[in-house]
Amino acid sequence: MNRLHELPTLRIDTHETRSLRYRGRSFQGFAGDTVATALYANGTRIFSRSLKYHRPRGLYSLDGESSNTCMEVDGVPNVRAENTLLKDGMVVKAQNVKGSADFDLMAFTDKLDWMMPAGFYYKTMHKPAAVWPVAMKAIRKAAGVGTISADYKVKGRYDEIFLTSEVCVIGGGAAGMMAALAAAESGVRVVLLESRPYLGGCWDYRASKYRENKPLFARARELAAQVERVPNIRVFKHTAMVGAYNNNLITAFQVGQRDDVFTERYMEIRSQTVVVATGCIERPLIFENNERPGVMQVACAHRLARSYGVLPGKKAVFSVGHDMGLETALDLFDLGLKIPYVADIREDGHDNSLLEALAKRNVPVLKGWVAAKAHGCKQVNKATLTTLDGTVRRQISCDLLVASAGHTPVNGPLILAQAKMEYDEHTGYFLPKHLPEKMFSAGRMTGCGHPLSIETSGRLAGMKALSAIGVIDDTTVSTAEMNAASLPGADRGCKLVTAPVKGRKSFICFDEDTTIKNIKQAIDMGFDVPELIKRFTSAGTGPGQGGIPGHNLPLYVSKYTASVSKPMPTTVRPPLVPTLLATYAGAHLHMFKRTPLHASQKKEGGIFRNIGVWKRARYFSKDFECRDEILNVRNNVGMLDSSTLGKFRIFGPGALKALQRLYVSDMSTLKKGRIKYSAMCNDDGCVIDDGIVVKRGDNDYYLTTSSGRAGNTVEWFRYHTRYDGWKYHMVNLTDAMGVINISGPNARKVLTKIVDSDVSNKAFPFAAYREFTIKEVIPVRAMRLGFVGELSYELHVPASYMQSVWDMLMVAGTEFNIQNFGLEAQNVLRMEKGHIILGQESEQRTNLLDLGLGFLWDREKADAKTIGAVALRQAEHDPGRLKLVGIRMEDDTRAPRDGALVVDTRVRGYVATARKSFTSGEAVGMALVESQLSKPGSPLDIYEDECKEKRLRARVVPMPFYDPEGQRMKM
Amino acid sequence: MALTLTCPVCGKRNGYEFRYGGEDKGPRPDEEELTPADWCNYVHMNTCTAGVQKEWWFHRDGCGSWFSTYRNTLSNLEVAHGEDSQ
Repeated sequence: MNRLHELPTLRIDTHETRSLRYRGRSFQGFAGDTVATALYANGTRIFSRSLKYHRPRGLYSLDGESSNTCMEVDGVPNVRAENTLLKDGMVVKAQNVKGSADFDLMAFTDKLDWMMPAGFYYKTMHKPAAVWPVAMKAIRKAAGVGTISADYKVKGRYDEIFLTSEVCVIGGGAAGMMAALAAAESGVRVVLLESRPYLGGCWDYRASKYRENKPLFARARELAAQVERVPNIRVFKHTAMVGAYNNNLITAFQVGQRDDVFTERYMEIRSQTVVVATGCIERPLIFENNERPGVMQVACAHRLARSYGVLPGKKAVFSVGHDMGLETALDLFDLGLKIPYVADIREDGHDNSLLEALAKRNVPVLKGWVAAKAHGCKQVNKATLTTLDGTVRRQISCDLLVASAGHTPVNGPLILAQAKMEYDEHTGYFLPKHLPEKMFSAGRMTGCGHPLSIETSGRLAGMKALSAIGVIDDTTVSTAEMNAASLPGADRGCKLVTAPVKGRKSFICFDEDTTIKNIKQAIDMGFDVPELIKRFTSAGTGPGQGGIPGHNLPLYVSKYTASVSKPMPTTVRPPLVPTLLATYAGAHLHMFKRTPLHASQKKEGGIFRNIGVWKRARYFSKDFECRDEILNVRNNVGMLDSSTLGKFRIFGPGALKALQRLYVSDMSTLKKGRIKYSAMCNDDGCVIDDGIVVKRGDNDYYLTTSSGRAGNTVEWFRYHTRYDGWKYHMVNLTDAMGVINISGPNARKVLTKIVDSDVSNKAFPFAAYREFTIKEVIPVRAMRLGFVGELSYELHVPASYMQSVWDMLMVAGTEFNIQNFGLEAQNVLRMEKGHIILGQESEQRTNLLDLGLGFLWDREKADAKTIGAVALRQAEHDPGRLKLVGIRMEDDTRAPRDGALVVDTRVRGYVATARKSFTSGEAVGMALVESQLSKPGSPLDIYEDECKEKRLRARVVPMPFYDPEGQRMKM
Repeated sequence: MALTLTCPVCGKRNGYEFRYGGEDKGPRPDEEELTPADWCNYVHMNTCTAGVQKEWWFHRDGCGSWFSTYRNTLSNLEVAHGEDSQ
């Protein structure tokens, strides 16, 4: 189709073509086209079939108020084709059709509307009850818009951005731009959101006069250029607001363009003030077949021609109620559209210059007339016009019926911000009774019509925002307010609710196929309030979310119920505009931390797993039972990377008091040169962490925690000392220091080669703490522990030296064929010693005594108010608790899975960790069992998933299973 | 989250930066004559005020201070001490 190429208002670039595929053919459009405008320009008139009746639906609006042009684009259903920019190569499919949009096999349902009155879902298809499952399946197949495959993989990159501003302006039309410019004059941060690809709002495409020799579209572009030049106004186009929350938190999402790295981006804007200038959409005119392809809103017809260069039809009848409707008729006539009649609902109040201009062009304007019916089954071919009282009718042939009852302010943002809306008699709009704190509205949505009023209201709103945060004073605002008052006020709105029709096929909601007749049926059944009617008839609950019926429904209900009170608006909820779940999900990046030895371990064959936020080596060979790793530690020497351990310095006059509060042991007996193993509990006495504390100096301690608790330790300490005012400091050294654990009977022989100190058993005994250096520069904090039950040294070294120390140990250990061992090997080694891992041998409810760690608890330090002491004392003699015990399987070749249940007639406990021990040849483990079963020798039955009733037998045995005297680690 | 909180060190910040630390129940009661029920109530039972309550917050993504403040649970907005908004 030929486009109008020479218009200065065009938003398409006719030098850059874009193609799409639809119904097996290629169609050509241009950069700047939306999918719908490109299809329309190529002759498409039917875009979809409606939900219930499968009526053909066409291009009615260009801002996505209805689901008429919801199509599947590149596999994504329910894309609003009318405001989605065309990208080259898009593949487009129609939805909710059997066959094609033009020839839908389900179209017969339109003749069955009498079977589907309002609320028929609730009344039919369930008597007898057996009918419902069958009906439900059929309805599910027939209803619903769009299909998606469960395997669909979302493409693209979804990002997020969090902004802070002093003024956030929603809407980039004239009023919004003026508000932004006014606010930015003071230097504050201004964010401007605009959902279209360009600023300018409804002036963008209009040629009527702003001032002498300057049409509105030129003024809009002038303002836009000004706005873009101001450095402290951040403009976001292609950005729709979706939510508003307390404290002026605004959420929005931005559709990425070619130069953007994101497909869509979620935005949160915390603004001190908000200016809402979202303008108006059109209030649909309700008449018979008012949703036929070929029936179109005024702005849609106007923008098709002016922004997209597509003359919307050949011969058009207009039925309007406002000056902008006349303006559009005039402009489109001048662009080549034939207009046999313009019906204007108003008897008076017109802009006379428009009437004169139309008369000059011999376009007849019928005052007090309105469209009554659109004729044609797939496309309008005739229109019936009628007087408002319905007594006189005329039929006119046409291929386009441009119809509108007036305007509706886009109130969504205000309603979300909890503004209470009230019907205004003069404009016919729902206007805010009072606005939320620090929120202001401006422009056409307040009722302004005159260009200067619109601009001034914007400027005023921007100034009020500044005044609300004390940037300018009130007197400046009052002066501006006085100037604004002298400008033309709000236009009188058109009050017509429906044409004089019965309404069987007069649609109040396009998405849900709800007719005026359905509304009457609902009201006659007793639903008298718009919110109830909305739900009962489902009007406004479709993809358009009230875009079409939002204004008309309360007006019609008020009229039909002969109500003397004002119409009551319905509410809206976020998101105001549909977006992808992927946008809310955001960037799904797998983030994790690596230890300084990650690369080295990988090179040595380390197989990593995600442990909390870390990647740690779990195995060093394909043998996941780790036989060689385990036996190497038992008989030789191995190395483990423990860098993820939490490590903290705590110092200051209150440090000891804090330790006494947080740890169950008496930390006052801690001496320099010795480690103390202890545990921390919570107020229920349940163990939340265990670790080592050493004293490095007066009021100066170094403590370790489990990897998982490292992030919470400072918070935990501070929380439990928050009333005391003790003076102490904590430094989190978790990432600053790495840890190498070297274990095995040959450990000393390796270590002694590289350190500058005497590490003989005499000089450095078991449970001691020593500080020394390596090569005189590397400071080492070393501890002798017994976690894996062999001679072990835990070397704490600054992270930047870790690689060097590791390299040196590998070289020193070559003589002994030193090997790495991973977490699984460590797991088995410590299990053989009956040592616990929190979270494995314990869960949320396991207290210190259950685990057999009561020996750590010092009861005498009452003044410390140790966390957990009260609960431990109270639970001490409670017989109903689980106890940690050692178990030995009857069959030594088979260890149960971790987590297997201990059962008899009911669950009596569970297996925490169990393995076949290579060291002893026995299948052993640790289990938490009810105290009645905890005596050594007690038989246990173990139930594993999928065991098919064949239970495993075990009995309780003393721990540790290996080296009960603990000789090996004291070597 | 729409909530903002005023950290004593960092000032007014986005609610996301904080972790909730529970209602202010005061320091731990003396252990003399403390029954298990009393202790459980102190640790776990909450008053659940519909209105302004004093509560603890931790500035997790900031300075790491623990501080107490007042919040109106009906509007989920921080309020100044003693003030009853709504």
